[in-house]
Amino acid sequence: MTKITINGREVDADPAQPLIRACHDHGADVPMYCYHPGLSPVGSCRICQVEVQQGDMPPRVVVACRTPVVEGMVVDTEAERAHETRRECLEFLLKNHPLDCPICDKAGECDLQDYAFAEGQGKGRSAEPRRKLEKRKSLGDVIVLDQERCILCSRCTRFMEEVPRTPQLTVSDLGSRSVIETFMDRPLTGNYQGNLADICPVGALTLKEFRFQARVWNLRKTPSTCAECSRGCAITVETLRGGEVKRFRPRPDLEVNQYWMCDTGRFALDRANLPARLPAATLRGQSGLEEADVEDAVDVLADMVGAHRASAVVLVSPFATQEEAAAVQRLAAELGAAPAFVSPPPNDLKDDVLHTGDPCPNRRGLTGLGFEALTAEDALARLADAELAVLAGERVVELVGAEGLAAVRASLRLVVLDAVPVDVPALDVALGVPTHVEKSGTWVNVDGVRRRLSLAVPPPVGVAPLEQTVERMLARLQAAEVRG
Amino acid sequence: MSAHPTYMLDRCEVADSHTLKVYRENGGYEALEKVLKTPLSPEDVIAVLKDSGLRGRGGAGFPTGLKWSFMPDVAKDDRPRYLAVNADESEPGTCKDRVLLREDPHGLIEGILIACYAMRAEAAYVYVRGEYRLPYERVAAAIDEARAAGLVGENVMGTDFSCQIWMHKGAGAYICGEETGLMESLEGKRGHPRPKPPFPAGYGLWGNPTTVNNVETIQNVPFIVSRGAEWFRSMGTEKSTGNFLCGISGHVERPGVYELPFGLSARSILEEVAGGVWKGRELKAFFPGGSSTGVLPAGSIDVAMDHDSVKGAGSMFGTGAMIFMDETTCVTRIAEVTLRFYEHESCGQCSQCREGTQWLHQIFRRIERGQGTMDDVDMLSTLASGMAPGKTICALSDAAAIPTHSVVKHFRDELEEHVRLGRCPLAGTSQPVGAGA
Repeated sequence: MTKITINGREVDADPAQPLIRACHDHGADVPMYCYHPGLSPVGSCRICQVEVQQGDMPPRVVVACRTPVVEGMVVDTEAERAHETRRECLEFLLKNHPLDCPICDKAGECDLQDYAFAEGQGKGRSAEPRRKLEKRKSLGDVIVLDQERCILCSRCTRFMEEVPRTPQLTVSDLGSRSVIETFMDRPLTGNYQGNLADICPVGALTLKEFRFQARVWNLRKTPSTCAECSRGCAITVETLRGGEVKRFRPRPDLEVNQYWMCDTGRFALDRANLPARLPAATLRGQSGLEEADVEDAVDVLADMVGAHRASAVVLVSPFATQEEAAAVQRLAAELGAAPAFVSPPPNDLKDDVLHTGDPCPNRRGLTGLGFEALTAEDALARLADAELAVLAGERVVELVGAEGLAAVRASLRLVVLDAVPVDVPALDVALGVPTHVEKSGTWVNVDGVRRRLSLAVPPPVGVAPLEQTVERMLARLQAAEVRG
Repeated sequence: MSAHPTYMLDRCEVADSHTLKVYRENGGYEALEKVLKTPLSPEDVIAVLKDSGLRGRGGAGFPTGLKWSFMPDVAKDDRPRYLAVNADESEPGTCKDRVLLREDPHGLIEGILIACYAMRAEAAYVYVRGEYRLPYERVAAAIDEARAAGLVGENVMGTDFSCQIWMHKGAGAYICGEETGLMESLEGKRGHPRPKPPFPAGYGLWGNPTTVNNVETIQNVPFIVSRGAEWFRSMGTEKSTGNFLCGISGHVERPGVYELPFGLSARSILEEVAGGVWKGRELKAFFPGGSSTGVLPAGSIDVAMDHDSVKGAGSMFGTGAMIFMDETTCVTRIAEVTLRFYEHESCGQCSQCREGTQWLHQIFRRIERGQGTMDDVDMLSTLASGMAPGKTICALSDAAAIPTHSVVKHFRDELEEHVRLGRCPLAGTSQPVGAGA
């Protein structure tokens, strides 16, 4: 660590990182456009000017993203000269930037807009016509480019080169004629395109999926963890009024995903915004499945279990959190069953960036608790021999296979705790559970890193956390034993 | 034409000066032989260079011997090291290296070999402006000849010293003449200048120690090695030693490339060398060293042409490319043309330069067309102040800001006259220098 002074305070700075990192780490507000902590610094936008004094030399104004940290350097991010240089730079950046904030998806989270509000002059001095370029150039299925808004920071080109290592974007032409393009106008490919919209400091690269979907200041952001693979990328779940999930965006987590996430995870919105939900409780009655009171359902369950616990199967979904799994484990012990989880086979999305190809976000955690991994076939085979089965957790039915489950003999006593409706002949009791955006808990990722999920959307009325429902069942069973 | 001693252009006058045969007949490769056969140590060569006071001829005037000594110590750094020769001569007004490349390519090769020996560089890259087709061919042919004669490649002149020379043709971008842009371009990338530090001596071509020198600088080296530092210092001034190639263009009777000692007054160069302002007209203004240097009014014509004196007059010596403009010249139009060039050639990395060059050009164009306002004149200054000095990665932004400042400083009245009249006061008589050339 190197000792430097930032705005009058002596701090420890990492000499391996440029000065701007030390400034940000210690609460100094230095704007940036071309700099991104996850990319190589190029020092081209010139906005991160700060005043630095070293040794006997007079103070100089330098770009913080290309200035190494040197023992004893004195940094003033608020020096008038630094502000002045930044204001000049801002004026140049705004010269050709269109005034279409009112229809720009980036508005509200735009670095250029924010800084123009903080430091800008309010009125532009330019009497010249603004650059006319392509306003909506499709760059493939994910991204749309507005060349007029682009401030040529080159974060996007560097991202494609440095992170997925698939250089597909480039700055073409020179000077004020520069534009971002794909090679030969080919559409972008790869599973990491969505990050371009995140890192673009302005509204030049935006998501087609999110285009005109919401004003970002109306989105409520909850930190959580991505469910699409065992990497468990740190994300924010962004919901609009009414609870609709509008975006998943990566959150910096240097141990897990740095600053990025894949498009598979980013666009898995259907898994969060389910069209139909399993109600809190349903029971098989005279005319099929009927909605019931949770207490009644638990009673039925306890009676049923009492008679059949000898050959019970307890299976959780790979999405179960540690907390849910621990509760299910206690239930399994009560029933004398070995706990297991459904383990779908690896998919072909594995890459050397983030995606592990393992669709089980908590495989490591479940394995660590002693859960056995079962393929769908093995799970169904066990059901064939059982008298009682408890299937618990989001998507458990889908992963065991609704068709396979439908073929299970009707005499099996089947209890399902899932998020979506299910109807198979063997089903006796179904209880609703929250999805991964509706619950709090812990997952352990592929590298053994524990990360939190947070409740971003309230579950449907009456639907309690899975561990609570299981605890209720357990309590009812144990009470029945005492009585019995 | 002039009584000053010359050396650089002497050989260029001889028929077939570009061939190895003629070069050798005129003392060619004797300096290399002196270095390799005496032998002089690399440190000896650098010491002579430092002693000679030779300053870089590419525009910045940095002491060459000192620059060479920045290359890291071989005992502590065993990376390969390179020399890059900047023959991407593209500054408006500058046309001196073309003559040397075309007429004296072996002089360049000999200089390269000595420079590589002194810096222990294993290879040199000559980056030639793409438009220089004949010069390129001449240098390429000369390298082939020299290689066949055992002067380039393994074991030069039968000694342990080996050195390769490779050529690279530019594709028309002015920015590739900036030393780090040149290196990026040599590596096959876009010619985007690199932020400094790190400097080329520590992190240059492919991340290895590299020195970038101008053609004329290198061309001076064999002469200094042969004839000694003292001889070299006998020409020019105390701080700007030797001769320089002065490319004279614009409204003069005899434009051309002349070899002159530093320190002559601009007036004597104009009147005695270039034959005075053409058509018997009066001088209005001149660029002392290419379009990136501040334009000076006629009143500054007595400035001595050496680095310090021109700086003292508020401009820069640059590449010694003097552009003279007569009384019919519209300086606003000159500024417009100049800024059009910088707008066109800005690489586009830095915000100030990318947007600023365009903005300045637009304002000058409006003023010239009679659509300017009085605010525009002040805005030119404030915008140029926002672009330089030292606010961007390379000096192209400065190169656009400097002439802007100088035009506002020396010709403010004329700019304001354009605004007041709503047209060019010189309309019809104006003779733009270099427009469209």
